[in-house]
Amino acid sequence: MSTLEERAVGAADFADERLGVAKFARNSFNKIFPDHWSFMLGEIALYSFVILIFTGVFLTLFFVPSQHMIVYHGSYAPLRGQKMSEAYASTLNISFNVRAGLVMRQIHHWAADVFIAAIVVHLLRIFFTGAYRKPRELNWIIGSSLLILAIVNGFIGYSLPDDLVSGTGIRIAFSIILSIPVIGSYLAFFVFGSNFPGTAIIPRFFIIHVLILPAIIAALIGAHLAIMWHQKHTQYPGKGRTNRNVVGIPFWPAYALQAGGFFFITSAVIAALGGFVQINPIWLYGPYIPYKVSYAVQPDWYMGWLDGALRLMPSWEAVFGPTYGGHMIPNVFFPAVLLPGITFGLIFAWPWIEKRFSKDNQEHNICDRPREHPVRTSVGVGILMFYIVLFLASATDVLANTFETSLNLMLWTLRIMLFVLPLVAGTVTYLLLREMSQLPSIGEPKTPVEIRRGIDGSFAFGELALHEVDEEILELPEEVAYRSLVGGNGNGHAPHVSEDGEERSSEVGDEHGVFEVPRD
Amino acid sequence: MKMGKRHEGKGRSQLTWLVGSIASGAAVLALATIALYPHQSHTQALVSAKVAPVSKKSAKPTAHASSSGQPIVYKNPPRGLIPQGRQLFAEDCQTCHGPNAEGSVRAPDLQGLGAGTVDFWVATGRMPLADPTEQAAVKPPRLSHEQQLAVSAYVASLAPGGVAIPSPNLGLANLSKGESLFAENCAACHTITAAGDELSNNIYAPSLWAATPTEVAEAIRSGPGDMPRFGPGTFSNQEVDDIVRYVTYIQHPEDRGGLALGGVGPVAEGFVAILIGLGSLMVAGYWIGGRAHE
Amino acid sequence: MSEAQLFEGESQEEIHRPLMEKVVAICFILSVVGTIGLGVTYWLGGQPQVEGGFLFLALGGIGVGIVSWGKYLVPQGPYVQERHEMKSAPEDIDAMHASLSRGLGQVGRRKFLLRLLGGAVGVFGIINLFPFLRSLGPVPGKSLFVTNWKHGSELVTADGRVVLASDLEVGGVMTVFPKGFEGEPTNAIDQVILVRAADYNLVTRPGRETWGPQGYLAFSKVCTHAGCPVGLYEELTQQLLCPCHQSLFDVLTGATNVFGPAPRPLPQLPLYIDSDGVLRSQSGFNEPVGPGFWERGA
Repeated sequence: MSTLEERAVGAADFADERLGVAKFARNSFNKIFPDHWSFMLGEIALYSFVILIFTGVFLTLFFVPSQHMIVYHGSYAPLRGQKMSEAYASTLNISFNVRAGLVMRQIHHWAADVFIAAIVVHLLRIFFTGAYRKPRELNWIIGSSLLILAIVNGFIGYSLPDDLVSGTGIRIAFSIILSIPVIGSYLAFFVFGSNFPGTAIIPRFFIIHVLILPAIIAALIGAHLAIMWHQKHTQYPGKGRTNRNVVGIPFWPAYALQAGGFFFITSAVIAALGGFVQINPIWLYGPYIPYKVSYAVQPDWYMGWLDGALRLMPSWEAVFGPTYGGHMIPNVFFPAVLLPGITFGLIFAWPWIEKRFSKDNQEHNICDRPREHPVRTSVGVGILMFYIVLFLASATDVLANTFETSLNLMLWTLRIMLFVLPLVAGTVTYLLLREMSQLPSIGEPKTPVEIRRGIDGSFAFGELALHEVDEEILELPEEVAYRSLVGGNGNGHAPHVSEDGEERSSEVGDEHGVFEVPRD
Repeated sequence: MKMGKRHEGKGRSQLTWLVGSIASGAAVLALATIALYPHQSHTQALVSAKVAPVSKKSAKPTAHASSSGQPIVYKNPPRGLIPQGRQLFAEDCQTCHGPNAEGSVRAPDLQGLGAGTVDFWVATGRMPLADPTEQAAVKPPRLSHEQQLAVSAYVASLAPGGVAIPSPNLGLANLSKGESLFAENCAACHTITAAGDELSNNIYAPSLWAATPTEVAEAIRSGPGDMPRFGPGTFSNQEVDDIVRYVTYIQHPEDRGGLALGGVGPVAEGFVAILIGLGSLMVAGYWIGGRAHE
Repeated sequence: MSEAQLFEGESQEEIHRPLMEKVVAICFILSVVGTIGLGVTYWLGGQPQVEGGFLFLALGGIGVGIVSWGKYLVPQGPYVQERHEMKSAPEDIDAMHASLSRGLGQVGRRKFLLRLLGGAVGVFGIINLFPFLRSLGPVPGKSLFVTNWKHGSELVTADGRVVLASDLEVGGVMTVFPKGFEGEPTNAIDQVILVRAADYNLVTRPGRETWGPQGYLAFSKVCTHAGCPVGLYEELTQQLLCPCHQSLFDVLTGATNVFGPAPRPLPQLPLYIDSDGVLRSQSGFNEPVGPGFWERGA
């Protein structure tokens, strides 16, 4: 053994003698991870979160979470002499005076945008491949919770600098809380510590953003990964792949290297964005002053669907009684409280909604091809279209300006598209998939045909043999060796490849039965 | 040790690696040093200067403000240009605005609006109007600078009143006050980065990135189109000068964070985050994870 | 064969791809170059684009190198592993049931005590809401119903300058506050947008005959939709546009909401011009300003 190996083995022995980790370590090293690009999406989210923690800690060392007003005498001339909160001034300080401050701030913000984007595409992959089915409903719930928490933490995070644009967003947030029936006004005053704006919201946002939510997110990510580790990852159907096995690369060293390397690649891309593309230039916006406002004020992209819903919603309000003494469910309640409630309720409930219709309580470890489930896929596409239109609706003014059309026209077009597009997209998807499913050889490798031209000008046709996928599925040698050492029936079979879900090992009482992978 | 055996005979190539990496490292260092120093000083100059250099476009022949100590000096164009102006008006403007600029169903009454008001419309190329069904858009001016002054002089001669042509003295302007006033009064339509945006009913607030100081001052005082009018009772001349100064700043703003993406904020940032950020990472993931095995 | 020997052998096999090894080596070297560049940049004072570029090189070099190592220099298999059903063996499940029932049987039978326990914990949970909610802020009381505008309040700008009737041109706009309160936090709620739509007295609605002297119309600047300042005055079409969600208010009919999501017109502040030519409010608003809430009706 080389010195590196000797040292590593020594460390492993050290750990085992104190913690008894040999079995767990061996299972971890040998754990097989299926290989597919669509399985890397969750990793992008995980690595973005790590970058957020890393850059976030740096920012907390400089940010002052206070709305106390001071007069600015710093290095950014266009704001010198103006009154601003200490929060805003400290953000200016980070951006102009702290070495590497601006690049850290921008990496942090880009990482947040990419984090949530990755969560969404990861969620879409899980949805369209049916990977939320038993036994993974728990992870679906955890993942959906992570989406909500990430969105909320992102909103709170970019509101911390207390600039003109994000401050307008906080004003809207106050109005949204206010709109909740019965308790809204109390809740808004409790959260803000007074009527708007108050002086409590930035300090409270700060501790929620750097401590409370990151702790919950980190814990949920830990649970998410632990459950995935324990249940093993799903895999796509293919040669040798069944519901009772997992085919891929071993965790050690192949997957660890690939995943670890991907972390660095993710950091590299986000760092490049952080250095080359400006994001949230708060110095151009100026400090938040409640009677000032800019146009072209959108929230960050992941809140866009809420902003779009607020814009598209017609001016209805539920009113009961006169101004003084009556009651009201205000307009913003419907797009900003009810809609997200229904959205996330639907997301959380989806595995059980599908179970109701499919009556499927089997364990599923093979991913579906989206085209094999026309109903689920077309419903998903339709609902996705709905939210895409909402996202577009957030940028009505910017889009109208870019394409030089009327704002009113843009709004009405999107209002109609909101209902028409999902129906159209969903129906088209369903019809397409139904057609595809009727083609006999859909998705199968096609048999190549060879056409030969003879010297005399004649043609000859012949089918070539299908190119055999030259892939021999192996077993890790230590697994084979381990089994022959401690395994029961000594028949030396390869792991069970039957589709039958009810198969159990015949070595019932034996801890290290041939067909069982010892538990962690 | 075991490693030695495998690397026998590779000693020379190891040396090559070492020399090559030191050389490239040195090259990068040199590039970094060259790249950094001028950029750094430029940034320093910008953030530490109380008043940044004045934009070249403000140097118009009629601007003689620097000697007077006034933030804005208003002057009418030379009366000698009036005959030329009358001629030009008859050719280009009369059909809609009437022979004495009294207006018609197609165009408003220009009498009493002042030379500055007229100068704004012709200097920005909005007039002569390209499409009467749409908001007048900025385009290359049809009239030369002297012709613009001539037309303005003629219309100003028809009736007293209105705004004369302003010459802002940016050397007397307070950039920070200008920022504050702009945020309170102008950003709601033009956006805080002066990028412009679409309002209701097919009206838009234009981008200010190509506007000269004189044009900005003229617009503030005359309130063209749907833009409100900010007279001396609303803004003093000093305040207009301050706002003009801010507009010249925002035309070349501090963009030390990198690509500005058009100054429209989170909309563009979201597209970049998803398409470029997530997109390139998904491409990388495709390389790492590969496709399904049939 | 000894146990250790059994486990050795095949796993020691190395993949020999000299070109790929060179690629990985170059990646790591580029990374070091990037890191050195980063250090030099930092030492020289820092610059965001240069920092980003070198970070990309430094991190990307390591990343591409490690991934290439993990993909091309290490056996990829594919390997297979058994995946057992999550559900445990029947005897384990039975044992779990038995143990659970044993405890439940001893605890669950005392239903009365259980209910009391539930009550105690539940009530204590509820009382915890008080420090975590009620202590956070005051109850709204009448705050949402009132502003600082009273009979005779002078209109002032943010700088405290009193607004005279001669100040605005026709087509002019200004943000104003009640005198004495322009620097207070309540200016967020008090803020009023003052427009001069004409130079004669304007009547926006029946009952408001005296509210718009000399064409001056004052409306609450807090949008009735979600509270943003309604700062866009479209002077020709006499409309106010809110920048957040594009609610449109028709000035001449009392800021009636004509387009977009705003559910109610902007409340109008009745004005008068005193003997010194100063603009003042006749009274406060006749309804709460800003977005709706449960305790208000129409």
